[in-house]
Amino acid sequence: MTNNIKAQNKNLLEKITGYKQFGLVIGLIILLVFAYFLTPSMFTGGAIISMLKNNSVYAILAVGMMFVLLTGGIDLSVASTLGMTGVITSMSMSSNPQVPAFVWVVVSLVIGSICGLINGFLIGKLKMIPLIATLGTMYIYRGFAYLISGGNWLFPHKFTAGYIAYAQGDILGIPNITWIAILIFIAAAIFLSVTKPGRRIYAIGTNADSSHVAGIKVGNIKILAYTLSGMLAGLAGMLYTANYAICYYGMADGFELMAIAICILGGVSIIGGRGTVDGVVIGVIMMSIIAFFIGLLPGLSVWQDAIQGAIIIIAVAINIFTGRLSIKNALKERSSLI
Amino acid sequence: MNNNTQTGHLTVKNEFKLSKFLVKWEMILVYLLVLLNVVLIATRSNLYFTPGTVSSIIQSGMDLSFMVLGMIFILMLGDIDVSIASIMVLSGMVIGLLMDAGVNMMVAVLCGILAGGLCGLINGILVAKIKMPAVIVTIATSLLFRGIVKIVLDVNVLKNFPGWFVTLAWTNVFGIPLSLICFTIVAVLFGIILHRSKFGRQLYMIGNSQVVSKYSGIRVDFIKICVFVIMGLMSGVAAIFFIGRMGGGLSSTMAKGYEMDVIAICVLGGISTNGGKGKLYGPYIATLIMAFLIYTMGMLEVDANTRKIFTGIILIVAVLIPYVNRGLLADIKLKLLYADSKNIEAVNLRCQSEVSTLKAKIRKCRKDTLLSNEEKSAKIKGYEVKIESAKKKCEQASKSLKEEIQAERLKTKKKLAK
Repeated sequence: MTNNIKAQNKNLLEKITGYKQFGLVIGLIILLVFAYFLTPSMFTGGAIISMLKNNSVYAILAVGMMFVLLTGGIDLSVASTLGMTGVITSMSMSSNPQVPAFVWVVVSLVIGSICGLINGFLIGKLKMIPLIATLGTMYIYRGFAYLISGGNWLFPHKFTAGYIAYAQGDILGIPNITWIAILIFIAAAIFLSVTKPGRRIYAIGTNADSSHVAGIKVGNIKILAYTLSGMLAGLAGMLYTANYAICYYGMADGFELMAIAICILGGVSIIGGRGTVDGVVIGVIMMSIIAFFIGLLPGLSVWQDAIQGAIIIIAVAINIFTGRLSIKNALKERSSLI
Repeated sequence: MNNNTQTGHLTVKNEFKLSKFLVKWEMILVYLLVLLNVVLIATRSNLYFTPGTVSSIIQSGMDLSFMVLGMIFILMLGDIDVSIASIMVLSGMVIGLLMDAGVNMMVAVLCGILAGGLCGLINGILVAKIKMPAVIVTIATSLLFRGIVKIVLDVNVLKNFPGWFVTLAWTNVFGIPLSLICFTIVAVLFGIILHRSKFGRQLYMIGNSQVVSKYSGIRVDFIKICVFVIMGLMSGVAAIFFIGRMGGGLSSTMAKGYEMDVIAICVLGGISTNGGKGKLYGPYIATLIMAFLIYTMGMLEVDANTRKIFTGIILIVAVLIPYVNRGLLADIKLKLLYADSKNIEAVNLRCQSEVSTLKAKIRKCRKDTLLSNEEKSAKIKGYEVKIESAKKKCEQASKSLKEEIQAERLKTKKKLAK
């Protein structure tokens, strides 16, 4: 009862500071202030739109990665899935330009889902360790991307206008690819908070054994999570090739680490069971602003890797410390109630 | 396996069995190595027998061998380290920069290896003390360390390395590559640490259960940091061989993806990524297999990117084989037990035949005119008692058999679940 009264009596300030992503938002604001004084060119309309366009692929990958991280797993094969799907869709698009571009969206979703399904089968049914299974498929998909493309590049003049419009066209001044990312964010938020499979993803991430005892088919939910991750990676592959109008087998190398970094920055726990879509949104925005900010500062572009690495370490450390603090506070409250 | 247990002295002695030894995972790796050699001989026999080919194959695979040794310890704990390639490049850079500055050669090399150890220390403290997941820490530090190399080197190439780096990587002693000899010596040292020392046994225990080993008085945090430092030092040592193999040059983009190759070798060598399982000589053989495999595929004109598919498939299959093996064994056992259940039928059949002979005897008795009625009934009663006892025996036998079978099945299920 006392707890309820306490919750009602919270004023606006406490509500704001109690928000889980409060620290992140503060960090974001500080970063923006720095950016405003150091690189004013960042706040022109064109710059913001190009930033949105170039980081939407990360956003889509990060949502897929979040599903997997919530189950307590990890998916290192997303960048390779992106590469393979991008190669398949854009290569077949250039050889059949008369086919409507929507077909390639469907194709990319299907191929991505198959890649994810293989991961899910290895992990959910054959009980492989996620890290090793996806490490293996990462190699395999990247190799197939090379085999299918034959080592060839595809240049902008081969891309049809309809295909490119999926990423580069805009509605209300915002690029289509960003609209797609926003739609995926909304869909993911609804899926995770309202639907049964969504809640089960959280359940098996929190404790796989007890959710198994509670009657959840852990293997099937894991397969679902990996399939979703693969599907979004496939879509990201099609959009990546459309966005840059270029395609080669080695594209998006290392994006899986970026996706994981965004999720962690957004407060998704690597152990599973914790994390929300709004955190990932803030993570994406923060990561893209950092990358853009560093890119605009003169002579700092070589610092990007080091700064991103340091930021991930600090973010995870803060995440862990605040987690411990909240557990301590909860214990204190409980003991005071007794 | 035959266990001779003596309660008095508590000695458990595993008898050596050839059939068990021949299907060990490490022996399968040896067969694989031999098979690769046979393939090479069959396809490129003239090249294979020219002196220097085999040793150059081995030399080409030795640059990451030292990292494999460190990675065994890391995987033994159930952790993982994907920052090793970055650490290797970083310590190579330290050596190169100090050589450029005119520092004494041995001091420079020592500083390079110690820089690797320092990187490992950072990883270890973050993992053991702050309790961050090892995957995340090492992903971030791999970005960080390679980022530092990028900041310092930019697009420059370091070339001022001691000459003996190259000789170490590319010379033979009595036809045996010098790098292989170094690797073997260090591997033996690591084997002694892992299999014969207190430290090594503690590694196995931590890998099996961290909580239990913590409560039994093992300093888990300290050992974790030690292992990460060892990994960093070994990456520093590997830098010497890597630079030697590259012919004495280093740039910031080199050795990308080496960490994955190292993990693949360890997994192929039978080290469980869950921790607490594996022997040292498995990865030792797997390192050689990887070198031969890459060379063989190069010979068969498979290009570098398609080789990735094979590496991936090997990684997955190597992890799955023990599982499939266990599953198959369980299947075969079940089938054999079903064969035993035929024995239930056999028991039933035997019982039926007994009963039928006894019934025939009863019929004979009834037809017999020489015996009196009382004698007849007595005899028939005796036969009937015999029939009933036979039936009871049969039931008991089949029951016990069924119980045995169910117990076996439960056992196999438990094994499968493990």
